[in-house]
Amino acid sequence: MSRRLFLIAMLGVLFVVFTLSMIELESLYNNYGMRYFLNEGFDDTGSRNLVTAILLDYRLFDSLFEAGILLIAVSGVIWISKHDVEEKNAQFMLDKYKTPDLFVTFSRLVYPLMLAFGFYVIINGHVSPGGGFQGGAIVATAILILYYIDGNKETNIGLIVTIEKIIYLLIILLASLSFFTRGEFFTNFFVPSANPDLKAIYLVLLNVFIGFKVALGLWTIFTAFLKEGR
Amino acid sequence: MVDYILNLTLIEITAYALQFLLIFIAVAIVVHKNNGTIIILIASFSLVTASLYIINNAPDVAIAEVAIGSAIIPLIYVISISRQREFIVLDKAMDDFIISDNQMTGIGFILLKRFSDFYHLEINITNDPMLGKVESGRDQVLLEETNVDLIVTKDPDHEGGYLLKGKASSLLLNKLETMLDDYDNVRMIKYKDRDIGE
Repeated sequence: MSRRLFLIAMLGVLFVVFTLSMIELESLYNNYGMRYFLNEGFDDTGSRNLVTAILLDYRLFDSLFEAGILLIAVSGVIWISKHDVEEKNAQFMLDKYKTPDLFVTFSRLVYPLMLAFGFYVIINGHVSPGGGFQGGAIVATAILILYYIDGNKETNIGLIVTIEKIIYLLIILLASLSFFTRGEFFTNFFVPSANPDLKAIYLVLLNVFIGFKVALGLWTIFTAFLKEGR
Repeated sequence: MVDYILNLTLIEITAYALQFLLIFIAVAIVVHKNNGTIIILIASFSLVTASLYIINNAPDVAIAEVAIGSAIIPLIYVISISRQREFIVLDKAMDDFIISDNQMTGIGFILLKRFSDFYHLEINITNDPMLGKVESGRDQVLLEETNVDLIVTKDPDHEGGYLLKGKASSLLLNKLETMLDDYDNVRMIKYKDRDIGE
């Protein structure tokens, strides 16, 4: 009991320190960065969504490693759930755990809409909220619904992972193209004086690649989970 | 303080209410015992977080939070929990050891029920005609290649006896073996895992 009381007291102290430091931080706030991005962001990068401008242009180096983290996570999941023996499923199992018909019908209606919304979020990443990562996650959810419609669906994990790796290499190549036009790595490959609408082409391309990469990565992860318990 | 509270806009009040809701949901996730409820709570936690992101003008993060936190993660939890919880028994004996008087009241079933309640497993008894026809020599292959955890057959050497066949790598079966001490006519066979290609 005393140990619990001590823990609660410690949490209280932490809470007080946290709130105090929050007030301290307020004096440090400034909006220089915000004003710079608001004034220059669109002309610099061609992106009306400034989050995408920072992710895919100003701080592309960080984003590349974020995309790499997912690749490493996928490899880890596959390595842990590796099955050398081809496992067969007893057919009768699926009858007891069959998805309800209402859910299947509803999923069939929703599936194309989800897929279309995912692609919309990916392609409009430079105009509206969203982008490659969010859109890829939505596309992956849509694909996951397919497994509820048809439980026997077979997927070739190896092929998906290979495509994902190739797309990751393509992302790095696309990001490095700027070396030949601008003389520096990891930024837009159009020259800085180009029309912002032209620069958006690069953002759309990168968003599409990242979207596909994320969708394939998440697809691999839950395919591994689906196979694991069977 | 009172002035501050009275001058809050509707959106600020909503934001505070949502933050308190987050605390309640977080406590509920820790306190609850039922896995299904916990998954729903985790999904709702993500939804509330996403609406807080929207209130704080971060729609990009909100979309990511909704897609990952309240769609993919709960679905993965649902899949893993439903797969791990069931214990599949293949009934090849086809007599009143498990099913007597068309009900699951045979002595074998009571034994397995006690065993599965001990580990909070969902017991699932099947007499699939395809798998039931497999000759007893191939039971080990059956255990390895399908998702069946235990096979119940008649004992060929012993009149009125029964055999329970399982994999030695399944540690749950050690408990079942100790429970068998009360039953004279039930024996247990545990197959060791073979190497591939053996």
